[in-house]
Formats: sequence, structure tokens, C-alpha cells
Amino acid sequence: MLQYLIKRLLYAVPTLLAVLTVVFFVARVLPGDPAQVMLGEQAGAEAIQALRVRLGLDRPLVEQYVDFMQGALSGDWGTSLVTGRSVLGEVLNVIPFTIELTLASILLGALIGVPLGAWSALHRNSLVDYATRIGSLFGLSFPAFVMAIMLLLAFAIQLDWFPVISSGGGGSVSERLLHLALPAVNLGIIMAAYITRVTRSSMLEVLGEDYVRTARAKGVPHRAVVWQHCLRNALIPVVTVVGLYLGILIGNSVLTEIVFNRPGLGKLIVGALTQRDYTMLQGLMVVYTFIIVVVNLLTDLTYGFIDPRVKYQ
Amino acid sequence: MSAVTGDMAAAPPRANRALRQLLAAFNTNKTSWVGLATFAVVVAIAILAPVLATHDPIEQNILEKLKGPSAEFILGTDGFGRDIWSRLVYGARLSLWIGGVSILIAMVVGSLIGMVAGYFGGRLDIAIMQVMDVLLSFPSLILGLMVVAMMGPSVGNLIFAIALTAIPPFARIARAPTVSVKERDYIEACRALGYSHPRIMAVHILPNIFPEILVMGSLWLATAIRVEASLSFIGLGVRPPTPTWGGMIREGFENILDTWWLSMAPSVAILVVVFALNMIGDGLRDFVDPKLKGERGG
Amino acid sequence: MTMRTLTTALLAGAALLAAAPLGEAKAQGQKTVLNYGMASKDMGRLDPHLTATTPDKALLQMIFNGLVRFKPGSLSLEQMEPDLAEKWTRSADGKEWVFMLRKGVQCHRGYGELTSDDVVYSLKRASDTKTSSFASDYKDIDKVEAPDKYTVKITLKSAIPSLLLFVANLHGGNIVCKKAAVEAGENFKVKPIGTGPFMFEEYKPQQSVTLVANKQYFRGAPKLERIVYRYIESDASRDLAFASGELDLVYGRQDETWVERTKKVKDAVVAVIEPAELSSIYLNTKHEILKDIRVRKAIAHAIDRKAMVQLKGASTAREARSIVPIGYLGQADDVPLLPFDLEKSKALLKEAGHPNGFTLKIIHTNLSGMLPTMQAWQAMLKKVGINLEIDVVEHATFHAQIRKDLSPIVHYAAARPPVADIYLTQFFHSRSQVNTPTAVTNFTHCNQADAEIDAARSEPDPAKAKALWRTAQIKLMENVCAVPSHEQLQTFAYKSNLVFGYDLKGSLSLGPPILETTHFK
Repeated sequence: MLQYLIKRLLYAVPTLLAVLTVVFFVARVLPGDPAQVMLGEQAGAEAIQALRVRLGLDRPLVEQYVDFMQGALSGDWGTSLVTGRSVLGEVLNVIPFTIELTLASILLGALIGVPLGAWSALHRNSLVDYATRIGSLFGLSFPAFVMAIMLLLAFAIQLDWFPVISSGGGGSVSERLLHLALPAVNLGIIMAAYITRVTRSSMLEVLGEDYVRTARAKGVPHRAVVWQHCLRNALIPVVTVVGLYLGILIGNSVLTEIVFNRPGLGKLIVGALTQRDYTMLQGLMVVYTFIIVVVNLLTDLTYGFIDPRVKYQ
Repeated sequence: MSAVTGDMAAAPPRANRALRQLLAAFNTNKTSWVGLATFAVVVAIAILAPVLATHDPIEQNILEKLKGPSAEFILGTDGFGRDIWSRLVYGARLSLWIGGVSILIAMVVGSLIGMVAGYFGGRLDIAIMQVMDVLLSFPSLILGLMVVAMMGPSVGNLIFAIALTAIPPFARIARAPTVSVKERDYIEACRALGYSHPRIMAVHILPNIFPEILVMGSLWLATAIRVEASLSFIGLGVRPPTPTWGGMIREGFENILDTWWLSMAPSVAILVVVFALNMIGDGLRDFVDPKLKGERGG
Repeated sequence: MTMRTLTTALLAGAALLAAAPLGEAKAQGQKTVLNYGMASKDMGRLDPHLTATTPDKALLQMIFNGLVRFKPGSLSLEQMEPDLAEKWTRSADGKEWVFMLRKGVQCHRGYGELTSDDVVYSLKRASDTKTSSFASDYKDIDKVEAPDKYTVKITLKSAIPSLLLFVANLHGGNIVCKKAAVEAGENFKVKPIGTGPFMFEEYKPQQSVTLVANKQYFRGAPKLERIVYRYIESDASRDLAFASGELDLVYGRQDETWVERTKKVKDAVVAVIEPAELSSIYLNTKHEILKDIRVRKAIAHAIDRKAMVQLKGASTAREARSIVPIGYLGQADDVPLLPFDLEKSKALLKEAGHPNGFTLKIIHTNLSGMLPTMQAWQAMLKKVGINLEIDVVEHATFHAQIRKDLSPIVHYAAARPPVADIYLTQFFHSRSQVNTPTAVTNFTHCNQADAEIDAARSEPDPAKAKALWRTAQIKLMENVCAVPSHEQLQTFAYKSNLVFGYDLKGSLSLGPPILETTHFK
């Protein structure tokens, strides 16, 4: 098992290097110039060129690449081209917000999605089943930012329960939760919709398996069949989906972060890209890729807990 | 179960039989017909757009801008005074095409990749999944921008970019059940019987993973249309003034507090399509996986 | 069953949260904290000599002073008033300027009294390409000296009547405190030290910058205790936060719908202020189709300025009158502005050998403030048979590509310091042509008015300078280098209990100045 873990993490190294190299070159091939962005739309070519020299962007690409790789491997991620602040510092600043939001929405999604999906599968084609399916489709296909604005209108303006600027709050736990609530619900609804759908379909699948029929025929109590045999097996695809979305959620929660004014990794990545902040973008991609690798690993390990037939080699 | 599919694969009047089974599956699942009908209506609307549109979808009439729904403009007008209903029906064409084609590509390519990786395991598995991880490591917006920067904005590149963002999820979804299924006895038995790998995968593994893929596919179509919207934020969208649902949602985003109907109309349109596809998907699942027939739970 | 317990739990949780106090924003009593909502993702760099972005500039004007300043709320060059300098003199030949500094001005955070030494350092810093983005503004300065502790002497290479503009509280004219700037070095942009009414206190990434009152401010201690300057990118959530009372002052959207809706918000005042941004269509006069002046005239005749104002709304937009924005020193009204005339446009196209029109592939930004303008022009040009294929690209790409001459038609919306010289030089002087080492934003490749622009810049007689600028505008417009379309004003909303302490008509830093006099009723 430990061996497997080490092996997996070692395999992540080439992934990281590949991502870094791709980001490094693609970012520089993209039209658009950080010096231009920094100096604004009325800057002259001379000022832009002077800044490029100061930032070291005029050096040969390969030289910059070697420098960057050496830095990256020794743990020095440099400073943001645009703001001049440390890349690592910026990332560490926002990452608690991202983790908080992601975990909260996954938790919310699983708490709603798994029971609802299982229930819906057990009462297939009942009224509840239809309601669940329609509800989950609604959660899935409705644009998240439209929902975000609706949540704000309802809970921050009409009811005035939560602040519009959910920027994370101060020190107290209650304030943090207050600021977390609406963004987490916004993403949680989408998560719940996905989880409900997948739980329901894989539950139906399992209910039709031979061993379930056998168990039933043997007279194993219904409750036990459902909990011990079905749900357990039905959870594999669910875990895959959760794992998949954990990564996607972190990178693509930009719109939610923007509407609710929360700091976050997604906002940082898009900001770095639109400003052509090469160093920031590279640093962020290292972090982001690392998160994806770890999440994938955890997902695969979870299969083993759920289904002992899965072997790790 | 392997016997059922095995027979199916061997039977000569295969097409007929499949059709009959499909009809049977749809009949068990009455909502499938509803879904099929709805989807057919949407497709018909897209085809008949020139007939159904009450106005020219790109003709600007600034004096009539941002009007609410009325007798003349069924769904109101946008910031240029263009009729939203007309843009919606014309937008159906490109949105369905872009979403449908990109997800189809992602489904086929992604599940093939995932199945091969899961089935053969070992180094190949690791190598393939590494590449998927690299792809997955780029948030869709970033990946989209990279594609357009290299290839320039066009509908084809848009489809390619969306497909690229959707391949890794399909690969992972396909791989997980493959890993679990291939350990089962009947697969071992097939191998012992000397069946070729492609045959085992196509006949015995594909049916097992197909339901998940199908469910995913119908869900991701909505995502694809939404990705189109978010890509239009970064300039990968379709050239103006051509309407697409995603582009319309994005235009409405700027004005959501003033003129909510701008975003609402295309959002509801996407909702309807996703509903329809899911209902069809449910019927298809029963067809692919006949053992579920008549299963009523509880 | 599971569902019900879950719902109950969630509801209970929500109720619990709702009972918690909502913090500062809802505090009662005399308000001394200003919550300012700015349309931006994040802070850029708080170094006045480096940054040119609106969100940073609006903050910097609270932290720094110039030798002179624009009268608060105004951007008239004739109304410049003393700031750090009490008075100033100009030699007869206009080449030597002497500024007498106010005594006893204190730098923030105990960095001592501001003297001529700081001013010399600051102006030199502003004219050095290594430390400043505005170095080219100062290329006419020969030397800056400090004859004594409270006197600064600036010697020019040639007489520049508009020198005051470059020692005012904008861009390089902001005076930094030497000791702090030297000490901080590269870090000055996160530790700005000036002499203004507010001092930098705290920065929270992607959230806010907090400023606190500078009790030692030379015009008196500010009435506000602190300013929380929040970065809120989404228009909708900024508006919602304003409606909910979490923000007192917000950056608005430049359109009528926003103005009309925001006016209805409880206790809201909407301010529509100068400077206007002029939207013009710049035509590449070297392009194979556009080099024919008849084609350029046809384009000009096809643009309906009235309709553009209707599109944006009359309360925030007005028709353009020249290639220089209305009200800038030297802008002329009696210039050949071609009227909207579709028939004439079609006739010109036919004459130029395009009876069926033609297709042009152009590049445009996806910025939501700019794209609709281009789409409206696209529809107007379509009526005379000119078909624009717009490649919509992301903003940074747009700026890179238009500077490589990749788009024969360029849409630019810009405000500049209010002198015709700057606008004309940047957009129409041959030195500023794109794709050259000295490029700025001359996308037209026009050079017909170089002589007038250069002569006006160092013309000591204001009347003569105005005449030269007028000739320049006429020459460039006769050549149809650009088609001026419309101008859009800046919009802000604030709570009616907020008192700025001056008459708010405009602000060069594009945000209402927050001064020592600003307070809540």
C-alpha cells in the first residue's frame, strides 16, 4: 500500500513537469504582453520595452525557461510580474478560502445527493423519483451565476440574513460561516444535482445485480440489502464524480467567487491569465496540478475502501 | 447477463431486434417518449428557425432596446433592440450543434481512452491517465484560451476546445467501472476462451460502462453549452452578431439586475434541452441494460 | 426521513446564522467609515509613478499630493490650485519654473517633514524609465534642483506651457517621500507613503485596501476615520451591496439603464461626471481598401451619432464633435465632422469601385463596455454594404494585436489629461504610429498635422496654441483619419448622507476625490 502511494506520487512528477512546461511556453506564445497590461492602454512602446527589459522578458525564451525550472525545482516561485508580491504568499493567502468553499459545497452536495439519489432509485418512477430527477436537472442546467444572483436577491437583500460581500469574514467562526453560506449553497446545489443523478443511476444498476437478487432471495432483510450491498457498491461512481468535481470546482468556481466577492484560487488563475502574469500563472498551475494529483490519488484509494475487489499494484 | 448480451451480439437480425428492444425500453419508460418528443420539437424549432422567428435575429432597432415581453416581442428585446425570441430560435441551431458535436466527440474519445486504460492496466493505464491528468489540470477557461490563441477563433476550434475539456472526465468515468468489471469471473472466462481484447471490451465491458457514460453525456451537454458561454467571456465565442444560447446568457449577465429576461430565456431553453435528453437517456439505459426492466425497487 | 432531518438541521443552522451580528456595515450612530466599491479584481500597484489603472489611481489620490492640484471635483486646467507648493513663478522665456513649498507638511507614519529634497527625488524618480511608467512626460525637463529647503527649481529644455499638468496630483506628478521610497525600494508599491489625507493601512488580497485618516494632514484632520476600498468585480453584486447598505459609494456602469435603476435605490444619489471617454473609429489610412479617402468618407457618413447616444442613453453619453474630446483645452467645434448620410455613403462607395460594398476582417476586445459599441457600428456599416467580420479576442490580446497593425479598423475609447496636445500626439502624430519603436496609439498612420501639434506644444501664447490645435484637427478630419462617434461619462452612486465637501463635476483620476472634508451627515 505504502509502495503504491510512493509510486503514484512519483508518477505525478512528470505530470507536474509537463504541465509547467506547457504553461510556460503557451503563456508566452499567447498574444498579449504583461508589460503592456501593467502600463495600461496609453503606454508608449518605449516605456513598454523598458519595462520588458526590467522584468527580464527580453531574454531568450530558453534561458528564461531554464531559470524558471531551476527556481521551480528549488522551491522558489518568484514574485508576481504584475504586483511584485510573492507568488507563494499570494497562493497561501487565498487557498484557505478555496478549501473552505470546496469542502463545504462537496459536503453539502453529498449530504443532499447521496440520500436523495438512493431514495429516488429505491422508489423508482414514484412521484418522489420524478421530483428528484427534475430538481436535479434544474440544479445542473441552470447557469450558476444566475442562481447566485437569485440567492443574493432572496437571502441578502429580501431576507437580509447574509451579507452580499461574502469576502470571508473576520476571525469568529460564526462570521466565517455567515460569509461561507451563500457561496457554498450556490456550488453545493450543483454538486448535489450531480451526486443525486449518479447515485440514482448506479444504485439502479446495483439493484439489478445478481448478488443483490441472491441476497433478496435468501431473505436478507431489505434494509440490510440496501445498506450493505447496494449503497456500498453504488458509491464507486459517486466517488469518481466527487473526485472529478473537486478539482473542477476549484479551478472553475471563478464566477461564484466573483459574484459573492470571495477571494479564491479560480479568481487568481483567471486574473493571472488575463493580465499575462506569467510567474503567477506558473506558480498557480503547480499548485492546481498538485491538488488534482492528490485528489485523484485519494479517489483511487477510496475505491479500495468501498470495494475490496479493487487491487492496488 | 453475459449470456444475454452474447446472444444479442450473435443474433443475425440484430438491427430489428435492437429496435424492438429499444421500443420496449421506451414503452416501459413512458417519459422517454416525452423526452424524445420534446427534443424533436427543439430540433424542429432549430430547423424551422426562419419560419418561427418573428424578426430578423441580427437586425438592430435601438429605439426598441431592452423592452420587456410584449405582443410584438414575445420575449422582449436585448440591448440593441433585437428580438430575443428570434435570436433564441436561431441560436438553437448553433448551440445544439456546438454542444452536441463536442460532447459526442468527448464521449467517444473519452470512453475509449478510459476503457483501454482500465482494461489493460499497468504502465499503459498509468501513462494514459497521466496525460488525462495533465489535461484535467487546466481549468476549462485556461484550456480554451490556449486553444484559441494557437488556432484562432472559429466554430470548429470552439468545438475542439469544449471537447478537449470534456474528454478527461469521460475517460475517468469509463475507467473506474472497467477496472472493477474486468476483475469479475466472466471476463476471466472470456479471456480463457480466447476472445480478442476488442471483442471483450465491446461486448462485455462497454455495456457495463455505457449507462454511466450516457448519463454523463446527457449531463455534460448542458455543461458544454455553459462552457461555450464562459469561453465567450475570453473571446473564443462565435463571431457577433450570430446568436448562440451561451452568448445570449453572457450578454444578459451584464444586465441581470435591470433586464433579467435576457439571461432567463436562454437558460430555460438549455433547461428544456437537458430535460429532454435526460428522459431519452433513461430509456436508452434500460435498452442497453435490459436487466433493469421492470425493476421497481423496494 | 433522512431528507426531513437534513432540512430541519439546515434550517436550524440558517436561523442560527441569521441571529449573528452582521458586523461593521450595519453599525449605527455617527458614521466615520466609508465603504467604497470599485470595479476591479484586485489591487494593482500603489506606486503613483508605476500604475495607470483606474482602480489604483482613485486610491492614490487619497494618499498623495502634487505640487499643484486640480480643484477638487473639477478638471479644468485654468483652475489649478496650490497643493504642496504655496505659489510658483515662471520666467519670461517660460523655461524656468520656481515652486515655493508649503512648510511643515508631514509624511505619513513619521517619515518627517516633506522638503524640496523629496520633491527633487520624486520628480527624478518619475522621469526615470527604471522607476516610472510616465518618464516620457518629463523628457522636456532639463534639471530639477533644490536651492533651499522649501524651493524647487525646474529648468526646461523648451518652454512647455502645460508643465503644471505634470506636477499636479496625477501620475508622475504625485510626490513621494524620499526616505520611505528609498527604504522600501521595490516594495514601495505595497507600502506607499505620501502626504495625503489618508494613509495606507492594510491590504487583503482580492478583497480590500484599508486607509486610515492622516491626523496630521496639512489641510486639517480628515473627518472620516477610515476608508475600506473594496474590489468588487461583478457589476451586479456591487449594485446589490450598495442596495443592502454594505457600500456607501460605488463605481457604476456607463449606461442609462444603470443610472435609472440606481436612482430608485433608497437614499441613493447618482453622479455622472467628467471626463468623458471619446469613442472613435480609427481607420488605417495605409490599408489597401481604406487608403482611398472616398471609402473612409463613406464609413464616416454611415455612422449615426444620434443612434449611438440612444444606444448608450442620453444621461451618460453625448455626440462627439471632434477627434479631441469635448471641453479639452484646444478642442475645436468648427471642424469638418461628416454628417450621417446613407445615400452619400453608398454613392462614395460606388465611386470608389465598391458598388456592392466589401468585407473587412477586424479585431475587437471582448470587454463588455466596448464590444456593444462595435456591434452597433457593425450594424450601421452593414446598411451601406460594408461587412465587418469581428474576431472577438480577450482584452490583452486585443491590445497586443492592434499595436501590430492587425486590425484595419480600431475602436478606442479613451480619456486623457484635458489638453488637445496629449490626445493629438498619442493618436495622430507620426511619432506615435504603431509598429514603430516610438509607438503609442496612432493606428491611422496619419502625419498631416505633425507640424501644428509640435508647434502648439511649446507655444507660449495660449490663443496661438489653440489656433494651431484647431488647424491640426481640421487637417486630420479632412483626411478622415478617424470617425469620432460619441462620448461616455463616468458614473458613480453614493448614499445621500455622504458629503464630499466640494462640487463634484469631474475627476481626472476617474473616481470622486475623498478629502479631509468628506463626511457623513
